[in-house]
Amino acid sequence: MDDKKIVITGIGVVAPNGIGKEKFWDALKNGSSGIKPISRFDTSEFKCKLAGEVSDFKPADYLGEKGLRELDRSSRFLCAAAKLAIEDAGLSITEENTDSIGVCTGTTLSSLWNIAEYDREVIKDGPLFTDAGVFSGTVANAASSRVSILFNIQGFNATISTGYTSSIEAIRYAANFIQSGRVHAVLVGGVESISPASFTGFYRLGFLAGLKGEEVSCPFDRRRNGIILGEGSGVIVLEGEAHAKGRKAHIYAEVKGAASAFDAYKLGKYQPQGKGLHQSIRSVLSRSRIRPEQIDCVQASANSVKEHDRIETAVLREVFAKPADGVAITAVKSMLGESFSAAGLFQVISSLGSIQEGFIPAVVNYTEKDPDCDLHYVTNTLHSRKASNVLISSFGPGGNNAALLLSKYQ
Amino acid sequence: MANKIEDELKKIVSTITEIPLDTLKPDADFFDDLKIDSMKAIEIVAAFEKKYKIVIPEEEIPKMRSLSKIIAFAKDKIK
Repeated sequence: MDDKKIVITGIGVVAPNGIGKEKFWDALKNGSSGIKPISRFDTSEFKCKLAGEVSDFKPADYLGEKGLRELDRSSRFLCAAAKLAIEDAGLSITEENTDSIGVCTGTTLSSLWNIAEYDREVIKDGPLFTDAGVFSGTVANAASSRVSILFNIQGFNATISTGYTSSIEAIRYAANFIQSGRVHAVLVGGVESISPASFTGFYRLGFLAGLKGEEVSCPFDRRRNGIILGEGSGVIVLEGEAHAKGRKAHIYAEVKGAASAFDAYKLGKYQPQGKGLHQSIRSVLSRSRIRPEQIDCVQASANSVKEHDRIETAVLREVFAKPADGVAITAVKSMLGESFSAAGLFQVISSLGSIQEGFIPAVVNYTEKDPDCDLHYVTNTLHSRKASNVLISSFGPGGNNAALLLSKYQ
Repeated sequence: MANKIEDELKKIVSTITEIPLDTLKPDADFFDDLKIDSMKAIEIVAAFEKKYKIVIPEEEIPKMRSLSKIIAFAKDKIK
């Protein structure tokens, strides 16, 4: 196996505003937001009420009834997205090729619900009488393992848990596996599900939108004041070029490069100059041999946090000499909320829409200009433009930063 | 009382094995006949322990290979 060029051949998505690539892309084109009042748990005691919650999701439609009871919500999201991606790629997994296919998943918060549920039972019924079935879903790699079990994928299985950047790191990790010749194809996923634990945690830390202003996800807007949580899953099939061509697969795009940098500053605080993000973007551009002026679109990490969007703007301003002239900047978290480890995959699948279908989704909810955020954002109305090179940025306050470059396949 | 326990145990086994109540045979061996894996067998035992707050001794667990064996054990312990 010697495949240096990495391509994307399959897409599966379970997003708050659409399930399946067509519905997800349509929602993005229409500026249709998935943010709505939380229905999974009671928010009456909180000031904040909204999340990018996945509703109208019927897992049996994708996975059948049998075995469903064993899967927690995150595993259902990821397995459904994986199923869609496998079908979309036309990838057949057999006894002969199973050792050359892997699974790599980015997730950080997805098992919190089960951990809390398991602990609640320990307290309520006593440690000897917990539900053994819940325990398997308390571990970080539960969802990823379920994909391997369900689809009999035996090449490797890894879970990457670096918070906000996990999806992009998972793509990088999987690409390395393919390039080193260990496997031909990898199902790369990102998944998160909202839970009372994550909601109250971010609420108590003061991270949620609505605590210090309007409860709205409005990246780059002057009114931005925090995140709205999101959930769901995205999965792509990553493949070596020769392998993909060998089986006559449709190629959505090429993964030109990925890079990351760590710039931990203070607990829960962003590195004020965005040093790591800058380094990641510079590094991915140089590795991909793409000049800033060749980038058509930036899928920003912007999540409506004051400092986050300011830093990202400053870094992009530095990288792109005249950003207003060329590059279109968008932020899908305006429609999806901040879904942490799943966010990168949502950005990637949106970018594949830009390359494949020629649209750049708008940053919705943008109404008030902020002098700190003065780039060429695609605001409120859809931008029709075939993108050849899309830069995806991903970072958070923990010090993790990552960048990915997707290009039209030629 | 005994019938109630029997019905409850049937429901537990049916839920975990995903075998409908009306087709679940009490004497069917979990492993040889129903082909369930060891994780599910443990889940059945754990659900039984949780429901009746009874701890099944380690050495007894391998003997719990069918619904009727669990029912017999339960009838003996829950009076």
